Amino acid sequence: MSARPGVVGYVAKRVAGALPTLLIVAVLVFGLIRMIPGDPAQVMLGDAGDPQAVAALRTEMGLDRPLPLQFAAWLGHALRGDLGVSIATGEPVLPLILQRFQVTASIVVSAIALATLIAVVGGLLAAWRHRRGLDQAVVGVATLAMAVPSFWLGLMLLLVFGVKLQWLPVVGYVPLTEHLGAGLAYLVLPVATLVIVESGVLIRMMRTSALDVLRLEYVTHARAKGLSEARVLLRHVLPNAFAPTLTLVGLALGHLLGGAAVIETVFTLPGLGRLVVDSILARDYPVVQGCLLFAALAYVLVNLAVDLCYPLLDPRVTVEG
Amino acid sequence: MPDRRGGRRSAILGAALALLALPPAARAETLLRARLNADILSTNPGVRRDENTDMVLQHVVEGLVAYREDTSVGPLLAERWETSPDGRTYTFHLRPGVSFHNGAPLTSAEVVWSLRRYLDPKTHWRCGRELSGGGYARVVGVEAVDTQTVRVVLDKPFAGFLATLARVDCGGTAILHPSSVGPDGAWRAPVGTGPFRIAGWKHNQYLDLVRFAGYRALPGPRDGHTGGKAARVDRLRFLVIPDPVAAEAALLRGDLDVLDNVTPIDARQLRKRRDLRLDVRAGFDVFAILFETRDPLLRDPRLRQAIALTLDVPGLTRAVTAGMGRPNRSVVPVSSPFHDAAQAQVPPPNLAEARRLAQAAGYRGQPITLITNHRYPAMFDGAVLVQAMAMQAGITIRLETLDWAAELDRYNTGRYQAMSFTYSARMDPSLGYDALTGDKAADPRKVWDDPQARALLARSRATADPAERQAAFDQLHALFLRDVPAIVVFNPPRIAAVAANVTGYQGWAAGPQRLWGVGLR
Amino acid sequence: MRRLSLSGWIGVALIGLLLATVLVSLAWTPFNPLAIDLDHTFAPPSARHWLGSDEFGRDVLSRAMAGARISVGIALATVAAAVSAGVVLGTAAGFLRGPVDRVLMTFNDALLAFPGMLLALGVIAVFGAGAGSMVGALAVAYLPSVVRVVRGAVLSIREREYIEASRVMGNSEAWSMWRHVAPNASPQIAVLAASLFGWVLLSESALSFLGVGVPAPAPSWGNMLASARPYLDTAAWLAIAPGACIVATLLGANLLSDALRDRFDPRGAP
Repeated sequence: MSARPGVVGYVAKRVAGALPTLLIVAVLVFGLIRMIPGDPAQVMLGDAGDPQAVAALRTEMGLDRPLPLQFAAWLGHALRGDLGVSIATGEPVLPLILQRFQVTASIVVSAIALATLIAVVGGLLAAWRHRRGLDQAVVGVATLAMAVPSFWLGLMLLLVFGVKLQWLPVVGYVPLTEHLGAGLAYLVLPVATLVIVESGVLIRMMRTSALDVLRLEYVTHARAKGLSEARVLLRHVLPNAFAPTLTLVGLALGHLLGGAAVIETVFTLPGLGRLVVDSILARDYPVVQGCLLFAALAYVLVNLAVDLCYPLLDPRVTVEG
Repeated sequence: MPDRRGGRRSAILGAALALLALPPAARAETLLRARLNADILSTNPGVRRDENTDMVLQHVVEGLVAYREDTSVGPLLAERWETSPDGRTYTFHLRPGVSFHNGAPLTSAEVVWSLRRYLDPKTHWRCGRELSGGGYARVVGVEAVDTQTVRVVLDKPFAGFLATLARVDCGGTAILHPSSVGPDGAWRAPVGTGPFRIAGWKHNQYLDLVRFAGYRALPGPRDGHTGGKAARVDRLRFLVIPDPVAAEAALLRGDLDVLDNVTPIDARQLRKRRDLRLDVRAGFDVFAILFETRDPLLRDPRLRQAIALTLDVPGLTRAVTAGMGRPNRSVVPVSSPFHDAAQAQVPPPNLAEARRLAQAAGYRGQPITLITNHRYPAMFDGAVLVQAMAMQAGITIRLETLDWAAELDRYNTGRYQAMSFTYSARMDPSLGYDALTGDKAADPRKVWDDPQARALLARSRATADPAERQAAFDQLHALFLRDVPAIVVFNPPRIAAVAANVTGYQGWAAGPQRLWGVGLR
Repeated sequence: MRRLSLSGWIGVALIGLLLATVLVSLAWTPFNPLAIDLDHTFAPPSARHWLGSDEFGRDVLSRAMAGARISVGIALATVAAAVSAGVVLGTAAGFLRGPVDRVLMTFNDALLAFPGMLLALGVIAVFGAGAGSMVGALAVAYLPSVVRVVRGAVLSIREREYIEASRVMGNSEAWSMWRHVAPNASPQIAVLAASLFGWVLLSESALSFLGVGVPAPAPSWGNMLASARPYLDTAAWLAIAPGACIVATLLGANLLSDALRDRFDPRGAP
């Protein structure tokens, strides 16, 4: 991290290196969605679509052209930032994705941030109190959290806090930008669900790597110098033990930003994940293609960002240009 | 609990903001909230459409004629009409005093413009084919006689002409003001004559309609899509809530006022609530098990009869619809005026006879694949029960669960052995039989390829005389029970749940929610 | 080798109970899990139906037992498929390096960047719902993580002196690979397989929840939960049984994978 050009070069190289990945994703998505039986013309016409009507609609949608031509046309536009328009609604795909992404991102980012915070505190405390009551309690809770299906937990929270106690709204969504208080109320349950199911594995990872670091000599050294336990944990253990947890945070963030379909379905949030699932079911090809390309891009960028964070934590790791 | 405090504080803050925003003397706007299970496809009636689109646009636009409560065709924008003796010429007289949402009065010019637009193949009108060369009759002329009179000429008599104009999936052949489209002919927004107009559409979130102050309702009580259509609230909001559990939760919490298309499963529970009212009608949808009659195994009608004989039709109906559906073995829905005593009989199950017939057909336990889907619980549950009931007579059914789009593809191409399916509501029994009957080679989705049935269907369509039509339907039904190209099992109920403070809600067997005439206490 | 901890024993007990249930269900269930009884729907737990009956009068206990067989069968088959394919590809990438590695890893990264659930959803939509396509879809979705772990393990082991020594002694590349790398990487693979089992089980239920699960009328815990959803208010037992089965199995799999990790790699032991 010594020279800026090194970092810029590294980023450029990584982004360029991701291009084949994105191309493969594009081809896979295109191939897979077209292999699924049924097409948007049939879905749109339902049980009342006679063959002529279906064929006419198919032509209108441009679905009767050869597949490689359709792909080339789509890719050409995609490279210029134009992801086409939705077959079902006629909306342009990119603004649609960005609008849905805001919803997913606000939930996922806040949930992962909270889960990371909990993991750091819980993991450090458990490692510090290794093999004592607190450690066992933390590990037990984390292990249990890993065993609970997210949609099950979400439904239970919905039932208790939304329907029975009526503390929180159960359906709908208000963007934070429109109304902060109301917007937050809609986010509480989905964020809580995600925090619980995601924090289990993070806590355990944090604890394991903190234990590793606590065994190292310089920690003993730091303690011998008379530093307080809090200082030892925060100054010496945390920075050195955080990297593996950060990797997991990156993976979780990368995958969830592409759409948290299950959570979004339970809480009926207009997020990216539900958009993909609905579009697959409706065979809305341009939307599916756009969303999954976007999801893959988000994944690549988040992991790149995580890689760039390592040198900040551990000076021994350098970014190679 | 911090959450609770936060919620309350935000509610108070919200209320304060709302108060500040209103001028002091203004009357609070009344808002009625209903649900859509998916966003509408467009605002273009009868063109880019599905059932949700049709339902919403029925609040915005109107046609010359429309369905009455009893599924007969009645006047709407046309006050009356005459038919020429040869049955080819219809002369419509417009109701005076009607105006469009933009204030322009309704005249024959807009009617002619609208009808010609629909008949232009470039419009892709849903029912363009029915009224062109390949359909039932071709419209050869649309012209204005005077400012209040329009004449439509067909190439041959067609008894179902008015019913076709009234069809909801044809957008009710809505009469639109030409400013609904741009100069290039591209669709803009509907400028219609309905009780509401579109005020805002946030894709996949909600759609707002507001009361049209200049609306002139057809006098009289509410009657199908025709009379008594006044708006009783200032604003009508359709919230897009795809998940049924979430929609129900929203209703229970007071975030929704009307919830249409409640499944019987949910209705069972909602029935116990004091703060809600349920509106249950025997619907016009038709649940059926379809057979591919060209399949080597199912080609033998005796095997199909055997499967039909294993079914405990009332038991199956009760289990799938929580006791709210009506068992019915006929293509003619129980709520139809044509559902007479001849159609009402439901033969009891007879396992011994089923075994005998299956045996006689040479059936030796070969598995029969029954396609179903997860999207519609009734189709799924129905398939599960049919499988279990057929098992009791030694008939092996294997279920194949597809997603709805894939099942539709199989339906359209005829690539299946058996399929659990629901035909959407068709008001006229001719249309109901037409969905099933036809030439498989030309249109593989038709399940019943039988010359006698096709002749009877043509007869039911050629005449407007109810007695003659009834006779044709009764004969069709007898033939249908003998040939078993499909087993009709029940008509799913149409259930809506409305909050206790909602007034005037009235469900309709033949159609989805109508929110005109509905107010808030 | 260390002795099993208490939590390790709990894990063994839970998984043992699961396997016992599967074995018993092969021979016996209280009722036919597919038999409907329309006169006894929604029966709460009783002496006759220990875990109650469902919306069609089917016995929940029998269905949960049969569901164990199907859910566990799918999870085991998926893990076996993903791990065996992953070991082959990961070893090849890690050992051969060069262009083979680059091509394999580019594909792998593409699959990793693809949301796993959505990939599975797409694959199932193409091939239709069924135990076979479920296994295929989930195996493809989890394959990239296995490849990554195996390749990493191979790369680190490859650098060790004894492999070099083996090569100096004239053993062929392929022989060195088998002889040393496979056994040395197997502890990590065992740990991974145990966690994978839990993830797959979770994914199966989530896919059922999204509406593309094990085909009816065969029960799986996932589709039992999905069909219990509308009755949460009035017939909670329908959701409790499969939910508890999933939680217990996942807990067992996680504890067992912890125990395995401790055994092979005592560093992180509690």
